[in-house]
Amino acid sequence: MLWLYLHFPHLLLDHIRRSREDQGALVIVEGSGQKVIQACPEARAQGIRSGMRLKTAISLAPDLGMVRADETRESRILEDQARWLYRYAAHIVLVPPDGLLAEIGSLQKLYGGLPAVWQTVEQGLNERQLNAWIGIGHTPLAARLIARVGKGECTADKGHILRTLSQMPLLAAEFDEKASIRLQRLGLNTLGEVFDLPPNELARRLSPELLAHIQKIQGTRPDPRAPWQPPHSFRQQADFVQEIEHAQGLLFPLQRMLTELEEDLCWRQQDTDSLRLVLRHRHSEPTRLHIRTSGPEHRADNFLNLIRLRLEQHSLQAPVISLMLSVTRFLSREAPSGQDLLGETQDLNEAWHTLISRLQARLGEQALKQLSPQADHRPERAWSASEVMRKTAAPLKPAEDLPRRPLWLLKGPQALTETPVAWFAGPERISGGWWDGHRVHRDYYIAQLNSGQLAWIFRDAREGWFVHGWFG
Amino acid sequence: MSELLNTLMQDARVWQGHRHVQTTQPAEPTGYQVLDNQLGGLGWPRGALSECLLDAPGIGELHLLLPLMQRMCAERKTVFWLNPPHTPYAPAMAREGVDLDQVVLIHTEDEGDFLWTLENCLRSPVTGLVMAWPGRLASREVRRLQLAAEAGCNVCVLFRERRYAEQNSPAALRLELEPGEQQDLKVNVLKRRGSWPGQRCSLAMAQRADLSFRETTRVVRGPWSGSTG
Repeated sequence: MLWLYLHFPHLLLDHIRRSREDQGALVIVEGSGQKVIQACPEARAQGIRSGMRLKTAISLAPDLGMVRADETRESRILEDQARWLYRYAAHIVLVPPDGLLAEIGSLQKLYGGLPAVWQTVEQGLNERQLNAWIGIGHTPLAARLIARVGKGECTADKGHILRTLSQMPLLAAEFDEKASIRLQRLGLNTLGEVFDLPPNELARRLSPELLAHIQKIQGTRPDPRAPWQPPHSFRQQADFVQEIEHAQGLLFPLQRMLTELEEDLCWRQQDTDSLRLVLRHRHSEPTRLHIRTSGPEHRADNFLNLIRLRLEQHSLQAPVISLMLSVTRFLSREAPSGQDLLGETQDLNEAWHTLISRLQARLGEQALKQLSPQADHRPERAWSASEVMRKTAAPLKPAEDLPRRPLWLLKGPQALTETPVAWFAGPERISGGWWDGHRVHRDYYIAQLNSGQLAWIFRDAREGWFVHGWFG
Repeated sequence: MSELLNTLMQDARVWQGHRHVQTTQPAEPTGYQVLDNQLGGLGWPRGALSECLLDAPGIGELHLLLPLMQRMCAERKTVFWLNPPHTPYAPAMAREGVDLDQVVLIHTEDEGDFLWTLENCLRSPVTGLVMAWPGRLASREVRRLQLAAEAGCNVCVLFRERRYAEQNSPAALRLELEPGEQQDLKVNVLKRRGSWPGQRCSLAMAQRADLSFRETTRVVRGPWSGSTG
């Protein structure tokens, strides 16, 4: 077994920086708000160091962006990274708050050697604009210790790894405080010197736990780690240092998130048709947007266009402090089917979905309707409107046996105000609805009005005359 | 430059009074031979706007478009109804052989949305026919739609009130529709590309209410006292 450890020295900082357009100085402040714990290169260039008091930092850089450290947020970001790493490695362990462990011994053959694995991971980190220190070790703890001191080397040689570990100072070995003080008092300075001590004496004089820790580093005691399972959903969040007031400003971080969604979907070989956006505001309830496409989709550009349309329609009700994109509905990707030699059918299908999604995004889903006849004698209920769906079934044969009906039906019957000039057909009695309380009892006629319109008129049980449709 | 002029002449974009130019514009037959003849053997122009000007619904205006609708549905192209004044009645359309899966009904709230929707529909390759009932349209907006129709090469029919017949319009085909005596539809060509307008014809539309000839002559006694058929 060979383990790769990724240590993210300032994950939260990287995460926030990559969803910003402008690159001003930025620091992460500890929970109580007194001390700087992480500083970006721009801030460091202005003299800000981690561990500095916040007041000093502000006097050095007056326009400093500040974000308070938040454990839940950090663990969420770490999980995002795990999901990304899961594309490369199957056995992943989360090491909160800032580490990821992956078993890579089994990957060497797949990638063609350890350097290739290393390079793949490094490239992925660059693409995601994340800083991480990589370490490789024959045990999880060895990999972690090496990564955390930044001495990672691309080697699977156990002897070399142990030598690197031996030169490590005791403080870096992550013993508990009491043990490390005792070891120092014994005059030991490096990990190597501890390795040389006889194990029995170590357990007796110090503690069995310390021995277990050392043996886990060396690999003489098993250190089982339960693999992490990726959740079956996609979630990404962008947090902003400065509140975003205009919808345009949201598009930049959205673009990155949607690109990651596209990658994620491609990797899953799935599509989705519904995105959820949550815009958090400082003082008011979060705005929730539900973006629907009319068909399965995975391309970031299409999603971005739809979101842009939606944001144009609904301006922001308050400045946004964070943006969350989540997808929980996944559809299996359809194999291209029913395609002719020139591939035209597929294109048209896609064009249809694009058009309908665009229209729905701007007009709202209720604005588009499809009609269908219903089995009912009452004219008002003999049709229904439903949401637009692409149907690929063959068209039905014309239903010749349906009775003659007008092409226009009025939204409600209108009182007839004039005497028709000509009567053509009727009466046709329609009576029903006693079973559901919407009783209809009418005699229908076809008649021509003065204006030349051919009308479908009826007389109801109370002898009132109404127009119900036009023969358009 | 002369090449450009030639193209304009050939496409009959420039109206020439003394010469009758056979246009080569793509078009869809209306399905009514009489009307096709009046329109120079073509029909509804593709990639251009058509206008139907009428006073009130119920004079056979939908039946004028029904053959085209049926054909478009059979070709699996989508037929859009944009802001129709009444509900298109599904059982009647199913009876006429219109595939309702291809029919999409759209209602827009304001004028901006209307134009945007119409433009988008016109530019899409999935569209076969767009029927739209605009409220007021500025000439500039009709021009914008005309360009969208050209881009998509689709048939677009605008139904407008007859009082707009006096105004000029960039639409390629303008038909004035009036009800006739025998439940027929009188079509008056107000404008068409490449030739003189002013053709008139009458299309039999009595079949739209199953009024066969026998029935029309038969006097159905109206239930109203004193009314005659």
